[in-house]
Amino acid sequence: MYTNAQYYNDLSGSPQGIRVDITGVTSFVPLDPANTDYQNIMALVAAGELTIAPAE
Amino acid sequence: MSTLAATNLKHASSASNNIVLDSSGNATFAGTPVPNSSFLRNRIINGDMRIDQRNAGAAIASLGSGSTYTVDRFYYYGSQSGKFSFQQNQGSVTPPAGFSNYAGFTSLSAFSAAASDVFVLGQVIEGYNISDLAWGTANAKSVTFSFWVRSSITGTHSGFFGNSNLTRSYPFTFTVSSANTWTQISVTIAGDTTGTYSTTNGAGIYVGFNLGCGSTFLGTAGSWQAALYEGATGSVSIVGTNGATFYITGVQLEVGTAATPFERRQYGQELALCQRYFQSAGSGAFGSFDGSTSTTIQITEKLIVDMRTTPTASIRSGVNAAFRSGGADFTATSPGLANFSANANAIGSGIAFWTQVTGFTGGTSNAVVTSRNQVATNGGAFINLSAEL
Repeated sequence: MYTNAQYYNDLSGSPQGIRVDITGVTSFVPLDPANTDYQNIMALVAAGELTIAPAE
Repeated sequence: MSTLAATNLKHASSASNNIVLDSSGNATFAGTPVPNSSFLRNRIINGDMRIDQRNAGAAIASLGSGSTYTVDRFYYYGSQSGKFSFQQNQGSVTPPAGFSNYAGFTSLSAFSAAASDVFVLGQVIEGYNISDLAWGTANAKSVTFSFWVRSSITGTHSGFFGNSNLTRSYPFTFTVSSANTWTQISVTIAGDTTGTYSTTNGAGIYVGFNLGCGSTFLGTAGSWQAALYEGATGSVSIVGTNGATFYITGVQLEVGTAATPFERRQYGQELALCQRYFQSAGSGAFGSFDGSTSTTIQITEKLIVDMRTTPTASIRSGVNAAFRSGGADFTATSPGLANFSANANAIGSGIAFWTQVTGFTGGTSNAVVTSRNQVATNGGAFINLSAEL
């Protein structure tokens, strides 16, 4: 469900969120522990099933 | 049955009448009517399946694996793809009296679920909306769950309640005696006295219907258990019969041991409740072309209602992003997002979001842009924002 995850920064270079495909749809997930997508992504990362690439 | 005929009712120690009845059936209270639970008693949002922001009534021919939102607030979870179709008012049957909509599911095959398979329809209720139930404490209150169901499969169906982290569950059963006939069901369960239940903006209670889970996720009905059971052992499987239907509406969860009539909320109220978890945006945005490119704009817009938490943003499928700048129209027929931010600390204070939208041509750097997506022919709001549980 979650693929191609990569952190992205805001225009000032500060970490802003994770750009990720959710069932094929490019989505922007905030670094917010209450956001369900963020929770799911972190669970996949912890399980070794998803890697988040660093920001460009 | 006997009838008490009276015009006035008065407490023995009251100086004046407490309730005055007239011949038209009106009752005037001298004080405040105090029901067993609040007037806003239904903890389910969009229980009459009216709001369908994502699909606008269109069918989903084949639901994928994982979690998919159907009508607003109701998720479908399937461990396998392609097992169900969904549509608001699927099959165009007449809803129960007093309702105009229902959520409809049809099984696309005769699938034999493996032990670990899960197929459910449910809603996650936010902790703020169940905090008074005191679940997870010795004072946990009983609740009554009622709904209208219509299925081509007769027999014992099932559903479940789950706690915040799905480590505890309460499977329940209900009977559909007549195929393809709307039946009203009411199930009362005792509140859970242990377990974790969020009382803030996290997942408070899960409640759902079993569409054909495997044995790992089926348990004994009628009690709280320290495991995730999303249905009852021995109950029917919708996914197991090709063409089987499961239609549902009038879903209500309330405090107490008796089901009351479905709580009617005005459309605008119900829509706003849904928009706390999902809303589409972009039709009222303004901003400018980027300083370094003629193909990307950066826009800001205030949320329609404050959301549960910082939302996930994505492009709404099939909608143009249309803006006006310097007296000319600029339309991205395949818009994309290049960035998105919304400050979580501002939730509750009228938050606006900021994003970059790609896919334009010929813009002037730094030129002001205003949305033209309010024009119906341009397609409307083009950004989906989700803060679902």
